[in-house]
Amino acid sequence: MSDATRVLPVVTDASAPPATPAATPVVEQPWRPSRGGWVARGVVWTLLGWVVLALPLNVLSPFEVGVTDVDVASLAVIYAIGALSLNVLLGYCGQISLGHQAFVGVGAFASAYIVTNLQLSFFLAVGVAALFGAVQAVLLGAVSLRLTGLYFALVTLAYGSFAQETLFGITSLTGGEGGKPAPRPEFFTSGYRYYYLCLAFLALVLWIDWRLTASKAGRAMAALRENPRVASSYGIDVRAYILVAFAVSGLFAGVAGALVAHHDEVIVPSSFDFRLALLFVLMTVVGGLRSRTGVVLGAIFFALLEEGALVSMFRLEGFFEGLLGLPTEFVSLVVGPVLLVLTLTLYPGGIGQQVAPIRLWLTGHRFDRHAGAVDDVEVNDVRA
Amino acid sequence: MSVLEISNLTIRFGGITALNEVTLRAGEWEIVGIIGPNGAGKTTLFNCITGFYQPTAGRVAYRGTDITGLPVHKRTALGIGRTFQNVGLVKNATVRENLATAQHLQVSYDPWAGIAGGPTTFGEERRIRERSHLILELLDLRHVGEERVADLPYGVLKKVEIAAVLATDPDLLLLDEPGSGMGPEEATALGDTLLELRQQFGLSIVMIDHHVPLVTRVSDYVYCLNFGEVLAEGKPDDVRRHPEVARAYLGTEPETEPEPAPEPVPGPEPDTTPTLVGGAL
Amino acid sequence: MSGLGQEVGVAIVTGLLQGCVYALVALGIVLVFRASGVFNFAQAEFGTTGLFAAYAALTLWGWSYSWAIAFGLAVAVAMGLLTERLVVHPLRNASRVTVLVGTAGVALAAIGIQFWQFNETLIMTMPRIVDSFFLVPVIGAPVTVQQLITLGVLVVASLVLALFFRSPAGLTIQAAQQEPTAAELVGISVRRVSMLTWAMAALLGGLAGILSGPNLTFTAGFLSFGAGRALLPGFMAAVLAGMRSMPGAVAGGLTVGVVEQMGTLSFMIEVPGARAMLLFGFLLVVLMVKPHGIFVPRTAVAA
Repeated sequence: MSDATRVLPVVTDASAPPATPAATPVVEQPWRPSRGGWVARGVVWTLLGWVVLALPLNVLSPFEVGVTDVDVASLAVIYAIGALSLNVLLGYCGQISLGHQAFVGVGAFASAYIVTNLQLSFFLAVGVAALFGAVQAVLLGAVSLRLTGLYFALVTLAYGSFAQETLFGITSLTGGEGGKPAPRPEFFTSGYRYYYLCLAFLALVLWIDWRLTASKAGRAMAALRENPRVASSYGIDVRAYILVAFAVSGLFAGVAGALVAHHDEVIVPSSFDFRLALLFVLMTVVGGLRSRTGVVLGAIFFALLEEGALVSMFRLEGFFEGLLGLPTEFVSLVVGPVLLVLTLTLYPGGIGQQVAPIRLWLTGHRFDRHAGAVDDVEVNDVRA
Repeated sequence: MSVLEISNLTIRFGGITALNEVTLRAGEWEIVGIIGPNGAGKTTLFNCITGFYQPTAGRVAYRGTDITGLPVHKRTALGIGRTFQNVGLVKNATVRENLATAQHLQVSYDPWAGIAGGPTTFGEERRIRERSHLILELLDLRHVGEERVADLPYGVLKKVEIAAVLATDPDLLLLDEPGSGMGPEEATALGDTLLELRQQFGLSIVMIDHHVPLVTRVSDYVYCLNFGEVLAEGKPDDVRRHPEVARAYLGTEPETEPEPAPEPVPGPEPDTTPTLVGGAL
Repeated sequence: MSGLGQEVGVAIVTGLLQGCVYALVALGIVLVFRASGVFNFAQAEFGTTGLFAAYAALTLWGWSYSWAIAFGLAVAVAMGLLTERLVVHPLRNASRVTVLVGTAGVALAAIGIQFWQFNETLIMTMPRIVDSFFLVPVIGAPVTVQQLITLGVLVVASLVLALFFRSPAGLTIQAAQQEPTAAELVGISVRRVSMLTWAMAALLGGLAGILSGPNLTFTAGFLSFGAGRALLPGFMAAVLAGMRSMPGAVAGGLTVGVVEQMGTLSFMIEVPGARAMLLFGFLLVVLMVKPHGIFVPRTAVAA
């Protein structure tokens, strides 16, 4: 150790060549599936595409899909947008919202008002609904900057019931309990066409969600969720990015709201109650926070369960109604929370973790049974 | 002009004076070492320089501009980068993701353009990835690029942290115990790395460490803090032989060799809560 | 008395009595928070579940009222213990927001089970313990004996809690809550303390449910977001108490009850959902201005 204590002359020779030449990176060839593997993947992709795109139109289909079934499918797609909205807050940013029904409701009533009262175009209405959703979310987000997580949860809870009873109760704007008509746009009045319209919006939302996570805003959110001090020392304006998350979440929720309004064609304030907020929490957490595929699948799962479609699809009425005495309309209310608690305590990756191996395989990776494992359902606790 | 100039900095938490009238400067291309026993206020000083704490009195200036009231992320934008005593990395992300996050301010596109998936963002993301790659290469960390931070040993993390802070493109590097958890050879290698980095990036470095041999070898100037005050300052050897320093820091006579290995996971200094600036943090 | 004066008087009396229910819920919330730092969103559902159990025993199985109450409380306590066992304990190392979602899951599960088990009659009524009411002299506010009983129970419960936490056993529990590791070292079972806390909280919730249910008709989720919702007001009372003070929780409950009743005054009649609006506004103001609570003893602030 004696030589280490000697003070070495400080090197100041600036002309010395850079210590490490930036060599051209050696790129290891990533694993690629064989030709047979590609064919297998292609078949599965085609099947998936067929289920999503062709089945509702009864193209090449062994089943008869009626218009009510397609309406349920549209609702599932819309719920997926809503769940992705909550995922931005809860998953990416670690901000809980127990008032998400209000986020969606604001969009729904805004869109219905524009189409019914102002006689403006549906597409303009969706845009304005998204904007309204974003604005109210940012206002709420400004409150969250001053509170820690648990207290903010209370604020969102109170905001949800305030929105449902007070905001949506302003009869001149929302029609009150009598309901507000929200007609579908001209070309999309049929359930089938409306389904594809919803799919298009879901695709747009998925694109934005993907680019969010793949760009600097998503990285900033991930950093500030886990460690706001490190995030700010990386040069991230923590408060600004929390607001960005609220804005994006509000945008998605506004779109979901507009779509749900014109899906139901008449909306009443009471359909935006606390249960809807909890349903979104179920979809995101059971789906698997931060897993895009998982959240979408979770939303579809709960939407189908809620509408009873899943029970009838698998002919489970006998089991639930006969054996358990559980009417189909209450299945999701009983099964959902149980799944939630199981996800939280035993299987934190949710559906996202279940399907991660399949998802990776489909995108040309090896089949890895352990892909997507998650240690725990982590929501931000630094501020809580 | 000095890069960093701290004048008469005082900070009190409740009744306790954590720093008292501290004056310190770091010049261009200089490596300044800060030593002192645990609880001397070294990390608190860093927190004042980076903006996590708001000093009770005094001034922090960076290249002549007063930055005392600036929030943390704006100081990073000016070119002040720091590492943390107990590893300041996003633990659930991989090393590469951390480097990409650290390049936040280097990303040229607007965050909203990124969210919308604007056409320019893809090329920019590629550039970020390449730059991460170069930094990993530079610090000889390529083999851990895809590892999750939480899975890596402490010694490696200290190095990854330097990589991450380099990614923020700093002019002034504040290193909080970069040598902790390292053995003597690793510490020597770290010293070489620091000298090299200074040369390659034109950095000024302020560094806290208990590793006295490391500090004295690489520093141009050394401050010794004790009980929140500057006990001694000067050329490394002068400070090392300063009788007060020996008494306060080494606890024994001047010429005795100090214990080279500090505790691998350092005990927490008053680094956590008291008055964090910026309510949300 | 003049019109508005009398109206305010009635609102205050009604609010205070309704506040007793909130105070019971808030006491349970504060108990759990002090013990484990958990925001228990299932607290109100302990009440509804107890209420449904008592209802079943009383009207479906024809038990006597006192046995029905005992059964309802027992079911509530069992649910509290189950929550601790199945959700809170497994999540002891998870983040607090995660636990919050977990307790909300428990509440939702309870609501689901209530719907499931009572799906023949969706809207239920249960007779009061003493079915009579009277008008408060001068103010003219109608008060049911049931509400007076609730007030009495609140007083007794607060006194019992106060005495308990000053007894050796209560002090031991507080020690275990504040310094779990140290408590384990001196041989206190932190686990058992946690179970006891949840049982006590569930008992308080059960009392709130069984006592408030007969005042109105009730459905599944009655105390969470049904007609007798006490979850949000209970939490607000707890926030007023800085989440820690027991007397503060009682004072907070009564305050929130009165604030909420101001929404029923006649000049608010035009405002839709005035009660929800007042609660939201009140919560915002409290959290922005006095985030550490109002009814907090000085020592609790320092702690």
